Amino acid sequence: MLDFLWLIPLLPLASAALLMVTAGSLPRPLIAACGAGSVGLAALCVLLTGLSWAHDPVPRQMELWTWMQVGTLRPTIGFYLDGLTLVMMSVITGVGFLIHLYSTEFMEEDESLSRYFAYMNLFVAAMLILVMADNLLFLYLGWEGVGLCSYLLVGFWYRDPVNGAAARKAFVVTRIGDTAMALGLLLLFTELGTLDIQQLAELAQGKWQPGDTTIVLATALLLGGAVGKSAQLPLHTWLPDAMAGPTPVSALIHAATMVTAGVYLIARNHELFLLAPPTLLAVAVLGLLTLLLAAFTALNQHDIKRILAYSTISQIGYMFLGLGVGAWSAGIFHLVTHAFFKALLFLAAGAVIHCLHHEHNIFRMGGLRTRLPVAFWSFLIGSAALAALPFTSGFYSKDQILLAAYQWPQIGPWLWAGGLLGALLTAIYSFRLVFIVFFGEAQTEPDRQPGWRMALPLSILCVASIVGGWISLPLAEALPATQSGHPAAAVEWISIAIPVIGVSLAYLIFLGRQLDLSALVNSGLGQRLHQFWYSGWRMDALYNWLWVRPYQFTARLLKDEPVDLAYNGVVHTSVALHHLLSNLQTGRMRWYASTMVGGLIVLLAVLARAG
Amino acid sequence: MNLAAMQGLLPLLVLGLGAAVLMLQISIRRQLGWSYAITVATLLLGAAAMEPAMQVAPLQVTPLLRVDNLGLFFGSLFCLSGAVTAVISRDYLRSREGENEEYFLLLLLSTLGAVILAYSTHVAALLLGLELLSVALYALIAYPERGTLPLEAAIKYLVLSGAASATLLFGFALIYAALGSLEYAEIAVQISAGRAATSPALILMGAAMVFAGLGFKLSVVPFHMWTPDVYEGAPAPISGFLAGVSKGAVFIAVLRWFLESGFFQYSSLLAGITLLSIASILVGNLLALLQTNVKRILAYSSIAHLGYLLIVLVAAGVSPEPGLAVEAGGYYVVAYVITTLAAFSLLGLISRQSGDREYDQLSDLAGLFWKQPGLAALFTVALLSLAGIPLTAGFIGKFYLISAGVDAALWGLLAALVIGSAIGIFYYLRIIYTMTTVGEQANPGTTADMLVGSRLVVYLLIFAMLYLGIVPEPLMGYLRTIL
Repeated sequence: MLDFLWLIPLLPLASAALLMVTAGSLPRPLIAACGAGSVGLAALCVLLTGLSWAHDPVPRQMELWTWMQVGTLRPTIGFYLDGLTLVMMSVITGVGFLIHLYSTEFMEEDESLSRYFAYMNLFVAAMLILVMADNLLFLYLGWEGVGLCSYLLVGFWYRDPVNGAAARKAFVVTRIGDTAMALGLLLLFTELGTLDIQQLAELAQGKWQPGDTTIVLATALLLGGAVGKSAQLPLHTWLPDAMAGPTPVSALIHAATMVTAGVYLIARNHELFLLAPPTLLAVAVLGLLTLLLAAFTALNQHDIKRILAYSTISQIGYMFLGLGVGAWSAGIFHLVTHAFFKALLFLAAGAVIHCLHHEHNIFRMGGLRTRLPVAFWSFLIGSAALAALPFTSGFYSKDQILLAAYQWPQIGPWLWAGGLLGALLTAIYSFRLVFIVFFGEAQTEPDRQPGWRMALPLSILCVASIVGGWISLPLAEALPATQSGHPAAAVEWISIAIPVIGVSLAYLIFLGRQLDLSALVNSGLGQRLHQFWYSGWRMDALYNWLWVRPYQFTARLLKDEPVDLAYNGVVHTSVALHHLLSNLQTGRMRWYASTMVGGLIVLLAVLARAG
Repeated sequence: MNLAAMQGLLPLLVLGLGAAVLMLQISIRRQLGWSYAITVATLLLGAAAMEPAMQVAPLQVTPLLRVDNLGLFFGSLFCLSGAVTAVISRDYLRSREGENEEYFLLLLLSTLGAVILAYSTHVAALLLGLELLSVALYALIAYPERGTLPLEAAIKYLVLSGAASATLLFGFALIYAALGSLEYAEIAVQISAGRAATSPALILMGAAMVFAGLGFKLSVVPFHMWTPDVYEGAPAPISGFLAGVSKGAVFIAVLRWFLESGFFQYSSLLAGITLLSIASILVGNLLALLQTNVKRILAYSSIAHLGYLLIVLVAAGVSPEPGLAVEAGGYYVVAYVITTLAAFSLLGLISRQSGDREYDQLSDLAGLFWKQPGLAALFTVALLSLAGIPLTAGFIGKFYLISAGVDAALWGLLAALVIGSAIGIFYYLRIIYTMTTVGEQANPGTTADMLVGSRLVVYLLIFAMLYLGIVPEPLMGYLRTIL
C-alpha cells in the first residue's frame, strides 16, 4: 500500500473533478455516493497504509515526479510519510468521511448538492496534499487550495450577500497570513537553496545557532501563515464569520481540519522553530492570549455556532501553547482529540439547527433533552470532552499541555495559570450551552428527527471523543519528546479540579439558579463588559478603524486613477507605435525589398562600428 | 557510402524514396486518397527511421551532412510536423475542386528540405536544404488559386526570398574568400588559428549578409515585411508549416552554423543579433496589437517568437557555458513548433473557406465559444501557450529562455522579452475574449464536420502542449543528453 500513497489525495480529487465536470447532471444519490464514497475509500487507504507502515515504522520519502529542473530550482511533487503525517491523514480522512456521510442527509434538499460535494472533496484533497507534501512548495499548494475551498464553502449559499462578505473576509484575512508565509518560504529558499522539509531542517542546524536573526525572521514569517490559517491572534477575526457556511462545512473546515493546518506547519518544521526560541515564545504567548480572549467571548454569545467557533479558536490556542512550550506531541494529541469532539459538537449543533427550522439562537431553544435525545447525548459527551472533564479525551490532551506549560522555565507557571483560567471558562461556557439548549423550558418544537446518516457519525464520534484519549499516537519518531519530570501533586490535582469546578459553576448559574448573577450582569459595568465581550473585544471595530477605513480612504483618493496615468501613457505609446508601424506594412513589394536593403546596411554599420 | 552511412541517412532516404513513389503513383493513376496515404506513411516512417540512424550516430557522411542526435531529433520533429500538416491539409483540400495530388508531393519535398537543414554541416548542404524547402513552398502558397491573394503572396515570397538567397550566397562567398572553406568545422579551425585576423572586414561583412539572408527566412525585423501578407494569402495549413517547420528548421541550421563554425566569438556579431532580436520582439508584438485579421496576428506573433529565440544565440555566445542556452533553444523550438502548428491548424479548421472568403477576421470568431465550445477551448489552449501562460509548453519554453538569459546576464534582451510578452498577452487574450462574446457573425458552422484524422491530430497537439507544460522534465533531460 505504501507504493500507492498518491492514491489517497487522488481519490477525492478525482471525485471533485467528476462532480465539477458533470455539474449536477448526475442523479442525486450518485452524487452523494461519489462525494462521501471517495473520502471513505481514501480513509480505507489510509488505514491500509497505516497497517503496512506499522510493520516498519521508519519515515519514508516518495518523489513522484520533478516538475522541472532549471538551475537550482527543482520543484518536485513528493510525499513524506511518518507518524505525524499518518496521524494527520487519519484525522482528515476519518473525521472527514463521517462529516461527508452526515452531509448526505444534512444537504439532502439543497439544490446544489453536486457543487457542495465537489468543493468538500476538493478541500479534503488539498488538505491531504498539505499534510503529505515533502517540500514546502507543494505544501503551499495544499495550503492555498484549502484557503480557496474555505472561501467557496463559506460563501456556499452565495445568494445572501452576508455570506459572500463572510467568505471574502475569511479569504482576505487568511491571505495576510499566507503572504507572510510565502515570504518565509522565499527567505528559506534564498538562504538554504531548497524547500525540502527534511533537508531544510538539516541545513538550518548546520548553518545557524539558536536565536540567529535570519532563522527567527523566517520562522516568524511562517508563524504569520500559521496564525492566519489557524485563526489565532491577531488574525482570528475571520473564523466566527466563517460560520455562514453550511454546518457540516463548519465542522470539517473550521473545526476539525483546516484550522489545524497552522499547528501542523509548526510541528512539521519544529527543527526550524527550535532554532528560534523567541518565535517559540511568541507561539506560546499568542496561544495563551488567544485562548483567554476567545473563551471570554464565547461566554457572551447567543448563536450556537458562534459559541462553538470561539471555542475552536480557544482550543487551538491551547495547541499553540503546547507547541510553544515544547510539548510537541501533546499539541498534536490535542489536535486529534479536538478534531473528534469539535466535529461531534458541530454536527450535533447541525442536527439541532436542522431539526429546529434553522434556529441559531440558544435562547430560543431549550428543553431539547427529551425531544432530540441523539443531539443531547452527543452534545453532552462533546461538551464534557471540550471542558476536559476527567476520563474524556480532551482531559488527557489538555492536561499534558498544561503540565508541560507549568514546567517551562521562567514564565511557565504564569502560562499554566492562564491556561487554567481558560479551562475554567471553557467548562463554564460549554455547559452554559448544554444547560440552556437542552434543559429548561421548551421554546421551539423540532419538526423532525435526525436519520441514520446523521445519527451514525454522531455515535461514532461520541465513542471517539471518550476513548480518543487512550490512543497512543505514533509520534515518538516524528517529534521531539517533551521534557519529563513530575510537578508537585497539587499542580496535577488543580488541573483536574478546575473543569469540575467550572461545570458546577455553570450548573449553579444557568440551571439550578442558586447563584444569581443578574444584578452583576445588569449593572452598567456588567452590561458594558457583556457588550464588549459579545463583540469579541471589539476586534472587528478596531481592525475596521485601523485598516479597512484607511484602505477605503486611500482607494477613494485614488478613484480617479492618478497612478494609472503612467500606465495609460504606456498604452497610448503602444497604440501610437502600432499605427506607425502598421503604416509601414504597405503591401508593396518594392518597399519591402528596400527595407531589407536598409536593414542590411544598418546591420553592416553596426558590425563595422563594433568590430 | 558504406552501410553505416546508409543507416545514418535512413530518414533522408525514406523521404526521398517516398517522394519517388508518390510521383510514380500520380503518373500512373491520380487518386487523392492514395497520395495522402503515401505522404503520411512516408513522413511517419521518416520520423521512425531516427531510431536505427541513432545507432550509428554521430557520423559524418560526406563533408555535407552529419548524422548526430541533434539533427536526428529535430529531423523527426519536422517529419512529424509535416505529417500533421498533411492531415490538416486533407481536411482543407476537401473544399477545393480539381487535381490536388501534387500538393502532397510538394509538402513531402519541402519537409525533406527541412530535414536536410537539420543535418547540415556545410554551406552547400544548408543552401540545398533551404532551396528545397523554399521552392516547394512557393507553389504550395499559391496552390488554392482562389482570388488574387494566394498568388500575390506566392509572388512576394518568391521574389523577396530570391533576393534573400542571393544575399546569403554572397555572404558565404565573402567568408569563403577570406577563409577558403565552406565546411563549418574547417571554418572554426581557420578562425581560431587566427587566419581571420588578416581580413576581419570581409568575414564580418559576410556574416552580416548571411544573417540578413537567414533573417529573411526567420522573418526577423527588418526582414519581416513579407510575413503577414504571405501568411494571410497562403492556405492556413501551409501558413502553419511556414511558421512552424520552415522557421524551426532554419533556426536549427543557424544554430549549427553559428556554433559549429565559431562565429559566436565575434562580439560585434552578437551586438548585431541583439539588435535584430530586440527589434523583432518589439516590432512584432506592436504590430499584432490592434490587428483584426487573426492570421496576420499569428504572423506578427511568430516574428516576436523568433525574436525571443535569437536570445539563445547571444546567450550561447556570451556565456562561458553555452549548454543551458542551447538546451533552452532546443526546448523553445519544440514548444514553438507544436504550438504554432496547433494554432494554425485550428485556425484553418475554424476559418475554413465557405463561399468566396476565409473566415479569418477577428470578428468572425465572435461567439465561437458558444457555438463550438470544444474547438474554441482547444484554440484557447494554443493561444495561452503562445502567450506563455503556465501549464503550457510555451510557459516552460519562455521560462527556460529567461533563465538562459539571466545566466548570461543579458538584461537588455530580457527587458525586451518581458515588455514583448506583456504586449503579447493583450492580443492573445483579445482573441479569447472575442470568442466568448455573444455575436452573430461567426462562421455559419462548417467546422462540425471535421475529419477524424484532423480531429485526432489536433487533440494530440494540444495534449503534447499541455504535457510539455506539466511534465517538462523528460524532454528537458533528453535535450540535455543530446545537445
